[in-house]
Amino acid sequence: MDGACCGPGYASPAEAMQAPREKLLYTIALYVGTGLQKPDYVATIDADPESDTYSQVIGRCEMPGIGDELHHMGWNACSSCHGDEGMERRYLIVPGVRSSNIHILDTKLDPRNPSIHKVISGEEIKRKTNLSAPHTVHCLGSEIIISMLGDAQGNAPGGYLHLDKDFNIVGRWENSMGEIKFSYDFWYQPRHNVMVSSEWAAPNTFMPGFDLEEVGHLKYGREIHLWDFEKKEPKQTFYLGEDGLVPLEVRFHHDPASTHGFVGAALSANIIHWWKDGEDWRWEKIIDVANEPHPDWPIPVPGVISVILLSMDDKYLYLCNWLHGDIRQYDISDPHNPVMTGQVWMGGLLGKAPVVNGAKVTGGPQMIQLSLDGKRLYVTTSLFSTWDNQFYPEIRTNGGVMLQVDCDTENGGMSINPDFLVDFGKEPNGPSRCHETRYPGGDCTSDIWL
Amino acid sequence: MTTRTITLANRDGATYEVDGRQPLLKSLMDQSVDLPYGCEYGGCITCAGKLIEGEVNQAPQVALNNRQINNGYIILCVARPLTDCVLEVGVDSHDKLYRNPFLDPLEPHELKADIAAPAPITETPK
Repeated sequence: MDGACCGPGYASPAEAMQAPREKLLYTIALYVGTGLQKPDYVATIDADPESDTYSQVIGRCEMPGIGDELHHMGWNACSSCHGDEGMERRYLIVPGVRSSNIHILDTKLDPRNPSIHKVISGEEIKRKTNLSAPHTVHCLGSEIIISMLGDAQGNAPGGYLHLDKDFNIVGRWENSMGEIKFSYDFWYQPRHNVMVSSEWAAPNTFMPGFDLEEVGHLKYGREIHLWDFEKKEPKQTFYLGEDGLVPLEVRFHHDPASTHGFVGAALSANIIHWWKDGEDWRWEKIIDVANEPHPDWPIPVPGVISVILLSMDDKYLYLCNWLHGDIRQYDISDPHNPVMTGQVWMGGLLGKAPVVNGAKVTGGPQMIQLSLDGKRLYVTTSLFSTWDNQFYPEIRTNGGVMLQVDCDTENGGMSINPDFLVDFGKEPNGPSRCHETRYPGGDCTSDIWL
Repeated sequence: MTTRTITLANRDGATYEVDGRQPLLKSLMDQSVDLPYGCEYGGCITCAGKLIEGEVNQAPQVALNNRQINNGYIILCVARPLTDCVLEVGVDSHDKLYRNPFLDPLEPHELKADIAAPAPITETPK
């Protein structure tokens, strides 16, 4: 049980912060792109420092097929149905971006070894909705919506898949995609009847790898979209231009009364902030990560902000520069004026921290997940198999790593925990790559409050 | 049925008789060749292999840029053999498939077909 009340999750972000410490982590692990003909899997990691198997993979739930490219995942229920005693946070929804298969994992029967409850085949999704390439999963009261990045042939803009609570396909969620060119991440804030969505690219563009020239040919996103959430249609677009090339992870404040939100523009290496000012929605650039010189590069290296995340109290914003190799912590108590309060290095192309806790770090800090109390940040190093192969080709044989960063929630500051290391290069079936992480009790990117 | 002989150069030269009307991925997997694949519609590059000899029709593919095509890559889930072929398959054929896009940019004619400039005209001596 998550909280004191009836349904899943917590009554408020403040209550979530008082939840028991996470003891298990579920983390995506990939074989796609490695040359090992094995299914991708969801690894269970022991995060209890009192346990004999602390910082080890203790369970592996393999997918039924190969080639899925598991990527992001989400829960069947979150705090948005906290008042519904008929619901429970039990099923993990794990899509495959390449196959479009959506796997439903039961985490209740044996939390250390989740099992496959159901698979919605990519073929069925394409046939019934003309959508492919599932990405972000959010529950919606008792139902589920998933951003789909392409049509059945991998063309943009895709749309939104709507599942009922028993994981049957309802159809498409949105009534209109308007003039939206691309899909990627989304987050909603129901009290303001708003959803914000961001843009990566068409699956046929990003899946084979990153051709920089395609950015100039407008094959990658540079806009974010505000939706009328009840009407299920876009109502306003922010053209971010050169400041907002490839806007990826979207995070609203956890506080359901707030209109402030943020998106990381990966290629521009900027953080964009939006908020409602009177009746008008506005945006501004609040963080600009400078490109860094590299002895072997003809041009400076962009940070490539692959992810951002907000602490449950909305005080800190974390970002990863996947190519530079640093994670930054900003105090965003004033969301217009962030103050950098912490920074750690792991891997990356700048050579600042090639080895951490005795392990060679191939890749850079990429996906992050924060404990509900804000004190422990779990970090993995793989971005996307084909992009990994371009920027960090040694990851094929070295695999990815998971590290944990201790975060000072009072004064700011970060340090890498010397006692935590999960080296996916040493997995029994061969080196794999680790990506997104979730906790059984909910985490800092899973829950939305009504 | 038009039968083609497919030789897998990096699988000990194993040969397979396949139907020329079927995509190579399906034909080979039906004969128990273990191959990587993803989208199965020619868009995600996971199943790419290298054509060493022969000709294929891979018109439906949208994953490869022109440099990758010039390096011999084909998308097995949609490529159909027009002749007998010699292939390299799997990730160990991907030595030239991936490149750092900042260090090794594409020329305008090397982009994907829908946005590529015409190939430069090679001056031929008179």
